[in-house]
Amino acid sequence: MNARANFLAILAAVAVLAVLPSSLSTYSVYVLCSWMVFSIAAMGLNLTLGFAGQVSLAQAAFMGIGAYTTALMTMAGIPWPLAMIAAAVECFLIGLVLGYPALRVQHHFLAFVTLAFNALVFLVLRNEEWLTGGTYGVVGIPRPSVLGFSTNQQTGFYYVVFGFFLVLSAVLYGILRSPWGRAFQALRENPIRANSLGVDIRRMTLLAFAIGSAYGGIAGGLLGQLVQFIDPNSFTLTISLKVLLMVIVGGAGYFFGPYLGALLVILMPEFLRFTEGYYLMLYALLVIVLMISCPKGLLGIVDRIKLSIKLRQNPSATAWEQGK
Amino acid sequence: MNRRYFLALTAGAAFAMVAAAPFAATAADPIKIANVIELSGAGATVGTNWRDGLTLAFEEINAAGGLLGQSVEVLNYDTQTDAPTSRAMVQKAIDDGAYVILGPIYSGTVKVNMLVAQQNGVPQLTGAEAPFITGMGNPYIFRTSFGAQQSMPKLAKYLSEKAGTKTVAVAWSNDDFGKGGRDSFVAEMEKHGIQVVADISSEVGQADFAADVVKLKGSGAEAIFVYLHEEESARLLKEIRKQDVKQAIFGETTLMNQKVIDLAGDAVNGVRGHVGLTADAPVPGIEDFVKKFEAKYKYKPDHNAIKAYTGAYAVKFVTNKIGKADRQAFADALHNLTITPAEEPGILMETSWDDKGEINRESFLVEVVDGKQKVIETLPKL
Repeated sequence: MNARANFLAILAAVAVLAVLPSSLSTYSVYVLCSWMVFSIAAMGLNLTLGFAGQVSLAQAAFMGIGAYTTALMTMAGIPWPLAMIAAAVECFLIGLVLGYPALRVQHHFLAFVTLAFNALVFLVLRNEEWLTGGTYGVVGIPRPSVLGFSTNQQTGFYYVVFGFFLVLSAVLYGILRSPWGRAFQALRENPIRANSLGVDIRRMTLLAFAIGSAYGGIAGGLLGQLVQFIDPNSFTLTISLKVLLMVIVGGAGYFFGPYLGALLVILMPEFLRFTEGYYLMLYALLVIVLMISCPKGLLGIVDRIKLSIKLRQNPSATAWEQGK
Repeated sequence: MNRRYFLALTAGAAFAMVAAAPFAATAADPIKIANVIELSGAGATVGTNWRDGLTLAFEEINAAGGLLGQSVEVLNYDTQTDAPTSRAMVQKAIDDGAYVILGPIYSGTVKVNMLVAQQNGVPQLTGAEAPFITGMGNPYIFRTSFGAQQSMPKLAKYLSEKAGTKTVAVAWSNDDFGKGGRDSFVAEMEKHGIQVVADISSEVGQADFAADVVKLKGSGAEAIFVYLHEEESARLLKEIRKQDVKQAIFGETTLMNQKVIDLAGDAVNGVRGHVGLTADAPVPGIEDFVKKFEAKYKYKPDHNAIKAYTGAYAVKFVTNKIGKADRQAFADALHNLTITPAEEPGILMETSWDDKGEINRESFLVEVVDGKQKVIETLPKL
C-alpha cells in the first residue's frame, strides 16, 4: 500500500516534469535544467558520501573533467553520445584512482586529499592552455541533436537532460537495492563488521568513488552543453562545496535527498531575488537555520515526524525503534 | 448565430488581439532596460558603481520625459559574478521583454551571455574590457569603454617615447581579464623594442604579494607594469611600498581606480598610467556628473559608474534617433556612430563606435598625487 502510494507519487512527479516546460518561460526552463544537472552530480556524491560514508570534496573536479572531455570531443566532431560515454568512463577510472587514498585515510583527512585533487584539476584546466584554452575557457559548445532534432531551443535540451536525469536515477536506485548498495551501507555503518561478514571493503570503497565520480562526469558534460561555455572557474572548490551542501541539506543517505537539496540550493536564491540586495543573505540565513534545526537534512525531518508518530502509537518501543 | 459564424468571429477576434499586441505593448508599458550586473561575488565593487551610474542616468532621463514619451523601467539582475548565473539572468531579462541589456563587466561572464543576447537579437552594452569581446563577430555587442587591445598601445607609446623605458616587469592577474591585458601589453612591448624581464602572474583574491614583489624588485626592470583587479592592486601596492621598491610603477585603469586609492591610501601616490575614463578628468561633463553622483550616493564614482552613465545616454540618443524602440534598428544605428556632447550632453565626451562595437574616444594619462588622479596628458582619439 505504502510502496504503491510512493510509486504513484513518483509517477505524478515525472509527469509534471514532463509537461512543465510548455508552460514556463525560457529562463525557468534553464533553471530547471540546471537543477536536474546538479541533482545528477549530487546523486553521485550522495552515493559516495551518504551511502558509502566517504567524504569527498572533489565532485566539481569530476564535473570539470566531464565537461571538458565532452566539450573538446564534440567540438572535434565526435558524436555526442560517444563523448558522454567517454566522459563517464574517464571519470569512473579517475575516481577509481582517487579512491585509493580513501583506503588509508578517512573523514577530515580524506576531505583534504579530495580538496587537493580539486585544486589540482583546476590548475591543470587553467594552465594547460593548448588543450583547455586556459583561463579563457571553451566557448560555443554545441548542443546535441537527437534523432535529427536540434536541441538549440531550451525546451528541446530540457528533454535531453530530463532523459539523463530519469535513467541515472533509475540506475542509482537499482544499484542501491542490489548487494552492492547493501555493501556500501555496511561500509558506512561499520567497516570492520562489514569486512568480517565477507564484504570486500577495498573493492566497495573504490567502487563508491568511481560510480559517484562517473555521475559527476555526466553532470559536467550536460552542464557544458547547457551553458555552452566552460572555464576553470566553473569547477572550483566552491562548486564542490555547493554540491556537498545539496547532499547535506537534502539529507545525506536518503535516495531523494539530492533532488530536494539541489532544488533548495538552485531555486531558493532565484525565488528570493525579489528581495533585491538581501536575497543571498536571506538564503544563507535559511540554510543556517535549517542545518541547526535539522542536521540530518530535509528528509531527516520527515523521518523524525514518522518516528514521533510511531512512538505515540507504541510508547513501549524499543531503543532501536526510537533511533537510539 | 450559427456555429460557422461564431468560429469566424472568434478567429477574427483572436487575430485582432495578436495583431494589436505589439502596439498595445509599446503604447502602455514602460520601456524595459535590463541591467545584468555583478551585485554580489568578486565583482560587487565594480558592479555597484555601474548600477548607481545607470540608475542616476535613467532617473534623469525619466525626469526629462523618458524615451519617445514613454517612461523607462530599469530591471536589475545580479549575476553573482558567475558565468552560468549570468547566462540565466540574460535569458530572464529577454523573457521579461528587455529592449536593451546593459552589463555585465567581468569578461568571462560576458563571453557566455553575449551569445544568448545575440541569438535573441537583443543589443547589449557591456563594461567588459577583454579584447575577444568584439572579436567574435557578434553584431549586438557594444563596449562602453576601451578594450585592452586599444588602451595598451597608448600606454606603450608613452612608456617608450616619453618615459624612455627599455626594460619592464609585468605583474598580472591570472584570469581572462588579466591574461587578455597582459597578452596585449607584452605584444605592444615587442613592437616598441622594450624588453619584458619578469612576467609574474597572481591569483584572483590573492592576499600575500611579498614573494611577487621580491621578484619584481629583483628583476632589474626600469618600470613595473601592474594589471590586477582593484583589491589585489591595493595589496600589491602596499607591499611594494613596504619593500621600498624604487622602480616607476605603471598601470592601466584599474591600478589608479578610486577603489584602489581608497584601499591603499598613500601607497598609490606616484603611480602613473592610462585611463579611458576618470572622475578626475578635466572635462566639464564629467565634473558635473561626479558632483551629481556624489550628492546622491555619498561616494566618489569610478570609471564603471561613468561607463554605465554614458551607456544609458547612448541608449537614449540612439532610440530617439531611430524614433522607435526597435532592437535591430538600435544595433544597426549604433554601429559606426559618433555621438558628441553637443548632440547629447549625457555622453560626456565625444564617443564613436565602429562596425564591431568597439569604442573610440579621448583618453588620459594620469598620475596619482595626494590620493587624487591628476591628468598629465589628454590623448586624442585613435
